[in-house]
Amino acid sequence: MKPRNLAILLTTGLAFTATACGSGTGSDAGGDTTITVACQPAKTAPKLRKAWTDDVATFEKAHPGVKVKSTDQQPCFDPKTFAAKLAGGQMETVFVVPVTNYADVIAKKQAKDITSSVGLVKNYKDIKQDVRDMVAENGKVYGIPNVSYTVGLVYNRALFTKAGLDPDSPPRTWDEVRAAAKKIADLGDGYVGYGEYGGGNTGGWHFAQALFSRGGEMVQGGKPAFNSPEGKAVLQTLHDMRWEDHSTGSKVLIGWESLMQQMAAGKTGMMLGAPDVVSDVIQKFQGKPEDYGITGIPDGKASLTGGEAYMINPKASAAQTKAALQWIDFEFNTPGKGRFDFARGKANGEAVGVPNNDYMGDSATGKALAEQRKANAALPVANYEPYVTGAAGIAPRLEPAKAQELYAVLDVAMSAVLTRESADVDQLLADAESKANSILARS
Amino acid sequence: MLNATARPEKATKSPTPVPDLRHKKPGKRRGAWADGHARTIVSPLELKSRWGRRIYWVLLTAVVVVFTLVFVFPLYWMVTGAMKTGEEIARMPPSLFPESPDLSVFADAWELFDIGTLLKNTLFYAGGAWLFALAVDVSAAYALSKLRPMFGNVILAGMLATLMIPPIVVMIPAYITVTDVPVFGWHLLNSPWAIWFPVAANGFNVFLLKRFFDSIPNELLEAAEIDGVPPWRVLVSIILPISRPILGVVSIFTVVAVFKDFVWPLLVLPDSEKMTISVGLSQTAGAVTQNQIMAGLVIASVPMIIVFFLFQRSIMAGLTAGSLKG
Amino acid sequence: METLTLEPLEQRLAPRRGRPPSKRRRATRRNLTSYGFLCAALFCFAMFAWWPIIKEVLLSFQQTNLVDKPSWVGLENFRTVMDDPAFGQAWRNTLVFTLLALVCGYVVPFAVAIVLNELRHARAYLRFVVYLPVMLPPIVSVLLFRWFYDPGPGLFNQALDSVGLPGLSWLDSTSTALISLVIVSTWMNLGSGVLIYLAALQNIPGDLYEAAELDGAGILKRIRHVTIPQTRLILMLMLMLQLVATMQVFIEPYMLTGGGPENATVTVVYLMYQYAFVYGGNYGAGSALGLMLMIVLLAVAAVQLRLTREEK
Repeated sequence: MKPRNLAILLTTGLAFTATACGSGTGSDAGGDTTITVACQPAKTAPKLRKAWTDDVATFEKAHPGVKVKSTDQQPCFDPKTFAAKLAGGQMETVFVVPVTNYADVIAKKQAKDITSSVGLVKNYKDIKQDVRDMVAENGKVYGIPNVSYTVGLVYNRALFTKAGLDPDSPPRTWDEVRAAAKKIADLGDGYVGYGEYGGGNTGGWHFAQALFSRGGEMVQGGKPAFNSPEGKAVLQTLHDMRWEDHSTGSKVLIGWESLMQQMAAGKTGMMLGAPDVVSDVIQKFQGKPEDYGITGIPDGKASLTGGEAYMINPKASAAQTKAALQWIDFEFNTPGKGRFDFARGKANGEAVGVPNNDYMGDSATGKALAEQRKANAALPVANYEPYVTGAAGIAPRLEPAKAQELYAVLDVAMSAVLTRESADVDQLLADAESKANSILARS
Repeated sequence: MLNATARPEKATKSPTPVPDLRHKKPGKRRGAWADGHARTIVSPLELKSRWGRRIYWVLLTAVVVVFTLVFVFPLYWMVTGAMKTGEEIARMPPSLFPESPDLSVFADAWELFDIGTLLKNTLFYAGGAWLFALAVDVSAAYALSKLRPMFGNVILAGMLATLMIPPIVVMIPAYITVTDVPVFGWHLLNSPWAIWFPVAANGFNVFLLKRFFDSIPNELLEAAEIDGVPPWRVLVSIILPISRPILGVVSIFTVVAVFKDFVWPLLVLPDSEKMTISVGLSQTAGAVTQNQIMAGLVIASVPMIIVFFLFQRSIMAGLTAGSLKG
Repeated sequence: METLTLEPLEQRLAPRRGRPPSKRRRATRRNLTSYGFLCAALFCFAMFAWWPIIKEVLLSFQQTNLVDKPSWVGLENFRTVMDDPAFGQAWRNTLVFTLLALVCGYVVPFAVAIVLNELRHARAYLRFVVYLPVMLPPIVSVLLFRWFYDPGPGLFNQALDSVGLPGLSWLDSTSTALISLVIVSTWMNLGSGVLIYLAALQNIPGDLYEAAELDGAGILKRIRHVTIPQTRLILMLMLMLQLVATMQVFIEPYMLTGGGPENATVTVVYLMYQYAFVYGGNYGAGSALGLMLMIVLLAVAAVQLRLTREEK
């Protein structure tokens, strides 16, 4: 390289330094209200993304003076960066929070109090009361619930048939699950009767799901409560399925997606999962739509509930808050519009028909949604009937406080029974309990 | 610990006949046996004995076979794995060659991982880091080596001290700093500067450059100074042209480091539009099939392998100095 | 930049006074120019190297959610991490990982380099392939080995199977998970060690070997009495560098095992990451772990510095 070129290069480098961060975000032009909204579909889903962009255009037309900017971070709630984004003023005006983090976000005053303006979301009152209560504290509302579901049992109907089981009467108890799993695993090499996680915090998460279904509790009165007969049953059953029946496969799964991927490959019989697992297995992982069904959780004493809510940035102005709620109303809460435009969804190849959202319950809007979903179903709705009927009466359970830390502790127990035949269930639970004690004792 | 490093100027004119790449012209094979080779543990005489020769050939074959198996075969498996169908890749026992090599998987992987964006981002970060780090570190090394300011030694010591503490150990405070840079109040999350600033704060680069500049005779510069040439011109027209070897080493290691880094971009560039290729691959790898993952890995490896082919000499020559970073 | 304007000004002033600028003025000018050149680097170092180190110390005694003012909590964070069931395990794993990685990543490359240095053929090829994995982004190596380790169709178990051996559980067993991580780590880092040793070996004067041979030293004795003493400095340096590098292990457990099974692969850095970015932003506890690791690394560096000094 010639010295002159080098010089130019170096000067460019230094000039870079000088202009660093010079370009901030431009201010709103001509009195327009600009809001940023999270959760735009990723580029890799072009049809969904286009539908979103069309919605933004429609919304802007209906609300002159409002400009909507979308962000598409995937996943759209990232616990890793949430606090930093908020502190750095990079949080969107409208952002999504999963049910796990409601309490934390509200306690840290990271969401705006929108009690006085919830009326802007016209169907707000039709959202189930208990779901609404999760994002409220002391009578103040901090978010609009967007999704709500409970965990069930996802199963492969084709494998059931192959193994001589009746896909229309899926297992109702854990004993039946175990028997069915054995039959499926006996189909041959590579067949897994019942898939389960063993690490990366997902093991503990599924432990909690199984525990609730048997009527156990994770935490009671600020103390760990999982070292109980129910907790023992969860681990013992899993241990016996792994080492006596050989029906859980030999590979330890750690990532959230890994089990769904295995499920979609078509050689795994059952797994715990909410209806969104069915949509993901079919859409993301290309499982055969007609093969997958879902039913209520075995034993059905209670079930872990999941979901998400939209919240408003505490720094948003009054005008922004208004526009933000109007956006939430338009895009997420109006039958036939936005995400509930099922006809468009079907045309775009979405997994319409999976009962993946029960936040409106039996209200007028809820019924309208259920009807429209069925009318435009792209998937075999009958496959999900057992879940719809089964999940209806099941008591929802929220995740415990310090969920991730407890899950990490229970990962140890889950991975132990899945990887070590000599694992001592009592000992594992006692260890986990004492560890959980010190975690929960911390302020 | 730094005194032990081989000085770059010494390494280039080492008195021993180093059978280095640069000394070995292609096609000069006849000397391979003993004459062209420096004296090593085994003497040429021992080697030429009947048993010596036998053992040598057995050993050579063994080493070549083992190296190929250990270092090349996994890459072969990666490339052929990508070209197998989803069914074939899961087959037991596996097939050595893909039955019907399918190249369309690379196009699929390109789409699914959004590799175009990821590569573009990574190249941008690497290129920017290269320009910025070189500009910053060369200026600093020049000041410390030739202008010798007050407290220069303290500053150098401070810069070298950071070498004892690997960046990952301070990732939490560094991350918090990036979300809110003290005094300036910048928020650098999702900004390329979150990569570029820390890359420039590299004590090892400053040290390497300074030591090289130290070896440039001062008389040369004094003459220029008497003629009234301003320092920046001295740097640009006298020092930099002589320093090309060391600039090459610093450049390559900066670019390679940005390409290979994982944890830091995972934290500071969470936006899927801003991700680096390493982070992007890790995020999407759970959502695609095994052969698509392999295709993604192949594509991600290509830029680095090209860099290796092009700059093999500088990389290997600079390794003695450069790899001390650890 | 200020140097550009300062310089001509000085030149104009100097002749007018009719004598060279005083020593003091020259020093001041020199300092100003110097700091002009240094300012960008000082900024980068101050903000992204020095401040984080100080901040780590502060944070480990604080509780912060990044929005409100941080509050001082004394030793609370240290108590939190030391109470953590994975704490002891994380240190033990890091230590074992480091020791295993030293055997694989320190002894093996040295032996390989000695053999390579004796070979007269295929040198360029061997050097090229051994360094190839070093050039790959670590994520590529890690994801590649994740597939190899698959207990079913993975390459390793299939290879074992083809020679009639039973398959291993690799990542899925407490007894093999950590060593599996060491294997990946060694595979992707071995090359740089080999090439560094190779360069060091090539710098050993040949007459030393000749002299040893005349004294009747066999090949092993020549290695012991010539090769090793001649490369002692670089060996020691590499030992410390390896130590520091392997103590930072993160991507392997993060991508391959999630710290399991049964915490068998939790490392200190992994645990630190969990606290700060998975357990709802406990930056204080994470920093406390980071501070501990920092102190250990500084101690290692101090020992190393002392050893090299004694050496001379």
